This record gives sequence, C-alpha cells and structure tokens, in this order.
Amino acid sequence: MTVAPQPGPRRAGASMTGPRQTVYLDYAATTPVDPRVAARIAECLTQQGAFGNPGSTSHDYGEAARALVEAARVQVAAAVGAAPGDIVWTSGATEANNLALFGVANYQRESGGHIVTSRTEHKAVLDPCRELERRGWRVTYLKPGGGGLIDPAQVAAALQPDTLLVSIMHVNNEIGVVQDIAAIAAVCAAHGTARLHVDAAQSVGKCPLDFAGLGLDLLSLSAHKSYGPKGAGALVVSRARGVQLKALQFGGGQERNLRSGTVATHQVVGMGAAFELAAAEQTAETERIALLRERLWRGLDLLGGVLRNGEPGHTAAQLLNVSFEGVEGESLLAAVRPCIAVSTGSACTSSNQEPSYVLRALGRDDRLAESSLRFSLGRFSTEAEVDAAIDAVSRAVTRLRRVAGSRPGA
Amino acid sequence: MNYSNLTWQHFNNPACAGVLTGAAVRRGAAGSRAQGIWVQFDVQIGARHQESIVEAVRFLAYACPHVIAVADWVAQKAAGGPSEPVLPESVSALRERFEVPIEKLGRLLIVEDAWIAALSSPYLRESA
Repeated sequence: MTVAPQPGPRRAGASMTGPRQTVYLDYAATTPVDPRVAARIAECLTQQGAFGNPGSTSHDYGEAARALVEAARVQVAAAVGAAPGDIVWTSGATEANNLALFGVANYQRESGGHIVTSRTEHKAVLDPCRELERRGWRVTYLKPGGGGLIDPAQVAAALQPDTLLVSIMHVNNEIGVVQDIAAIAAVCAAHGTARLHVDAAQSVGKCPLDFAGLGLDLLSLSAHKSYGPKGAGALVVSRARGVQLKALQFGGGQERNLRSGTVATHQVVGMGAAFELAAAEQTAETERIALLRERLWRGLDLLGGVLRNGEPGHTAAQLLNVSFEGVEGESLLAAVRPCIAVSTGSACTSSNQEPSYVLRALGRDDRLAESSLRFSLGRFSTEAEVDAAIDAVSRAVTRLRRVAGSRPGA
Repeated sequence: MNYSNLTWQHFNNPACAGVLTGAAVRRGAAGSRAQGIWVQFDVQIGARHQESIVEAVRFLAYACPHVIAVADWVAQKAAGGPSEPVLPESVSALRERFEVPIEKLGRLLIVEDAWIAALSSPYLRESA
C-alpha cells in the first residue's frame, strides 16, 4: 500500500494544536482565500446574489453583475496604478502571460521578430517563448547575476532593431528577487518599439508596482497568490500607450474583444476584493512578514552549511530560498513533509529529476539546487509556525546528514 | 511523491545508519554524491562452524527515501547470514517489497553495487 505522509494539512490561520498538523509555508504557490473575500464571492453565487450574466444588459440581473464586475475592475486597477479600462480579465497569470506574449507577437507580425526575456522567468513565460521560437521568432534569454538580478544594461545590450517585446517578471516566484522594473522600463522607452511586459503574479500586496507611473505596457496578475480565488487573473493592457494585441480566443467579444467568454462575476469580484485588501494592508503585512522571514533565516542558519539564494536586500519579504549542503533533495522534502508544507528548489519527480532551472541559472550546482527549500510566508503565518518550521527542518537536516555521513562545508 | 509504509518506516528510523569501526570490517561504496546517489556499507564478518557470516552491517546513504529505506532493510536482513556478495533479496524483489517506481530501478542497482563492493573488499583492519 502506498500512502502519503501521515499528517494532514492544517487550516491556515488556525492555531497549531497537535503533532499531526502541518505548517503551511507555501504561500507563493497559492494562498487561502481571505474569509472577507470568500464572503464577497459567496454573495454572487446564489439566487439572492448577483448571479446574472454581466453581459446581459437587458435586465437587472445582468446589470447588477456588471456593476460588480466593473467595481472589481476599479479595485484591481487601483492596486497596481492602472486605469480600470486597462484591465482584461483572464483565468489567471498563465493565461495573461500567454495573451501578452502571443497577443503582441501575433498582432505585430506572423514571424521573424525578436523578444527579450530572462532564464529565470516562470514557465508561463518561457514556454510561450519556446513556442514563438518554433514559429520563427528569435528570443534572447538573459542570464541573471548570481543573486538573480537582471542588470538593466543587459536588457539594453540585448535589444535589437526588431525587438518588439521585453518580458521580465517583477518578483521571482522561487527566490523572491525583485527586479528593477523602473530601470528596465526606461531602457525599453529609450529603444522606442520594444513593449515591456511584466509578470507580477507574486507582487500584489507584497511589492508595490505603479503600472502607469512606470510606463509599463503589459502586466500579468493572479488572484490566488493574493488571497483571492483560483481561476481569476488579469492582463493589464495600457490603452494610454496604445498597446495592441491580437486575441487568442474568440466567441463573444468580451473584454475589448481580447478575451471572449462570459466573465466569471464571483471570481473577479473576489479578485477585486482581495486586491483592495492587499493594497490596504500591504505596509503592515510586509513589515510583519519580513520579521518572520528573518526569524526563520536566523534559525536555519544555525545549522551551518546553509546558503541563502537570491540577492540580499533585493528579495520580497515573503520568500526565503535556502540550499542545504550535505542532504539529498528528495529525502529532505520527504523528511520535512510531515511537519511543514514547502516547495523544493527541485522540480524533482521519480521520473524527472530536474533541479530548479532558476537556481541553476544563478550558478548553483545540481545537488545544491535539488537540496533547496522555498519557504514562503503569508498573511496567516505566525511566530509559532516559524519556530516549528525551524525545528522540523533542523531535525530533518541533522538526521539526513548523519545518514549520509555528510560534513557540511567539508 | 508517496512512499509505502515500509519505506516510511525505514526512512524515518534507519536503525543501521552509521559506520563500523571494529575488527574484520569490509567497506564498499557505489555511486557518487555529485551524481545525487551514494551508498556505503560496512560489513563486519565473523565465523560460525567454519563458515563466514555477517555479524553486523551499517550503511551511509546520500540518496532518496527509497534507497535509504532499502539500504537499512538490507543491513538488518543481512546480519546473521552468509558473507556473500549477494543481496539478501534480488533487486527486483526489493523493488516490489518497497514499491519503488520502475524509474528508480537504477538506484537500487547502486545499493547492490555497494553491497557487492563491500563484500569484495579487503578488511579495513584485521581482527587481533
């Protein structure tokens, strides 16, 4: 019989009361829906709520839903410094990234243009870039420095006369490095024709980003990384900057003809509420989480033979990525799994032992990349949970090093 | 990845993890840490009725939970048995016993290689 490790998941925010409960430290993967957001979502679902089709303007049910959708558009736009009319609802950041990349490429030309991105982007950017290469586009994949930062001068050097798009993420989902989007935007502006797309799936409520103020062209957003529902996201498309896209799906002409399909009222209402809360609570929440993150790091650092990934001073408050010397990656994850829910630096499965391409791009060797854990804290993280995580990881690493006969640093 | 109960049991409590320092110990290893899997067996040999037997086994493993569990089981099972460069159970049978995915068969072969290397090696220090 094959079984999962014994402990079950615990509800985020609930007090830690028993040995069979798992501390959730994987907020960068997804977040629980904030109860205040869940209440707003629920209001849209039933007969007494705004269940109408927001595209049905011939009756009050549709109008009520439409009003909520437009209110959510205002909330999301305000959270990122965009105009409400710039927001195009999508199913999430992956769809937003696809719409940005293929939308710009398809609108501009059938093939033959040039795109600049980085090796540490999310797969939702890298895989579309690979597909565009198959369709005749040329893509430059910038290699970040050892801390994960892209030097804006690298972007400038990579630009070519036919570069039509630069796609650089704001906060890296694995190591938390925050790119200098303002400087990169200035480089693109100086180029003239290169549009700048920013994947900001990890940013809202953690790192402020001013879409209009920075002169960005396209911005991908996700609801479920910021205590909103899964299945909701947006692509921000600057009207003021005259950004043109070609739609990827057709059917009803919704969302400025860029994303046909009935808008999921409850999802975008949830996203709007989540983003409004995230923006309002960002300062206090970020300060609190940064303290927890440093507490976690100090505790883990006592083990010795641990390396912190990501440029110091340039990482988002919620993320801590650590490599542990002398332990094998799969065993490390298995050993901590009964106690804490984290992601490994490795996309390791039994059939595909691929160390994290992000950590490899930073110059970590395969073994260190595999023995890395990504801790991501969030709204419901507590000091007690951090201390429990330190204890669990310390015990696991110590035991695995003993079993391996490892001497960290040797 | 999910693991069998037997795998969890040995992975969480590897009773035979360690090294032997006594007399009549043979040591062998296979794999490499750089490749992500390394296993070492220390096998203490004794005599009973003019036959060599395994008196004690310890192992070290830089490896996945399956390999740690299998190495621990082998170390326990081999004690008291003949000192032959043959695992107490075939790799195929071990794979079934621990429900190891077929993609990891190569890792179990590393365990076997380490066992054979240990039993084929000279003594670290002859008994007095």
